[in-house]
Amino acid sequence: MSSQIIKVNQARIENIGALPTVPGTLKLISSVIANPMLTLDEISRFVSNDPALTAKVLKMVNSAAFGFPGRISSVSHAIMLLGLNVVRGLLLGISVFEIMEKVMAGLWGHSLACASAARTIALQRGLANPEEISVAGLLHDMGKVLLILEYPKQYEEVMNKANSAGVTVIEMESEYFSDPHPSVGKWLGAKWNFPRNLLEVIAFHHSPEKAKLAPMEAAIVHLSDILVRARGIGFAGDPFVPAVNPAAFEKINPSAEEIKMVLERIETTLESEG
Amino acid sequence: MLKISPDKLQPGMKLVKPVISNNGMVLLGEGMELTEKWIQRIVDMGIENLYVEGSQEPAVPKEELLAQLEARFKYIQDCPYMVLINKAVSEHIEAMYE
Repeated sequence: MSSQIIKVNQARIENIGALPTVPGTLKLISSVIANPMLTLDEISRFVSNDPALTAKVLKMVNSAAFGFPGRISSVSHAIMLLGLNVVRGLLLGISVFEIMEKVMAGLWGHSLACASAARTIALQRGLANPEEISVAGLLHDMGKVLLILEYPKQYEEVMNKANSAGVTVIEMESEYFSDPHPSVGKWLGAKWNFPRNLLEVIAFHHSPEKAKLAPMEAAIVHLSDILVRARGIGFAGDPFVPAVNPAAFEKINPSAEEIKMVLERIETTLESEG
Repeated sequence: MLKISPDKLQPGMKLVKPVISNNGMVLLGEGMELTEKWIQRIVDMGIENLYVEGSQEPAVPKEELLAQLEARFKYIQDCPYMVLINKAVSEHIEAMYE
């Protein structure tokens, strides 16, 4: 056990773009998406000016995680269909998790599969905003990325200890850090003016009973996280499946058939992602 | 559905998903049958992954996937609903090999 709990520095997390290890694209993207007055036109122009980013956004929106396979061919079309908030979340997801693949291989796969699972469950329950729930699934673990960027050595220790002690990283985090990854993710999301529902899902994906504004969304992302780990897809920092929150499970109340449908969607997402 | 790289394409294969260029344009629609000429263009354009008809068995043997599944659930078998989830995943894995 560590002798001393690290006080996670909120101001530094909120200014993550200033870290030398953060590449220029993310700095630029963060300066664009943090603007609360951002218009559709501005974000569309920003993305379209960067061919590599355009290709990634289009690949993502045409993947099973968003459910418009092969049908969206331009950034402005994507924004019209998905809405500004979803595209903002997407841009952040794409840029943040790209850095991560180098440090924590598999987190992108985990996040993408969660996005797909969350969307599928949202559709099964007839929710009105499946794309927003997809983005919540995509970004739920962004706090892990931030903790690793800020405290790389300590986080590696957390992962190793979790592995050998047979617990999940979220449980081990509390022995090292003053604030666990859901809170840390929420800080940055709040700083970047994410919608409040999305902030709640990020903050409470391990404790969905605390969600007030978006309890169903939080329950869905919580269950998605568990199903993706149960299937063993991607890597979220530890090799174990956390126990599902019974109240969250009952809120969604999926049948065994519905769970299998979600698992099938996850397979297709990954096939198309490569 | 079979995912393959361009160098393994054969004339006569049928696309399950459209071929999308790196800048997002649809080049060939789904259902198209590939010809020698199209395959050459796909290779020239540096498109990475294509989806054609056929089936792909998972690379890992079933027994191994099921053993890994059991290891992941080792500590939480007694928690509510986890048996149900475990069973659904194991049936899902079985179905992948049918």
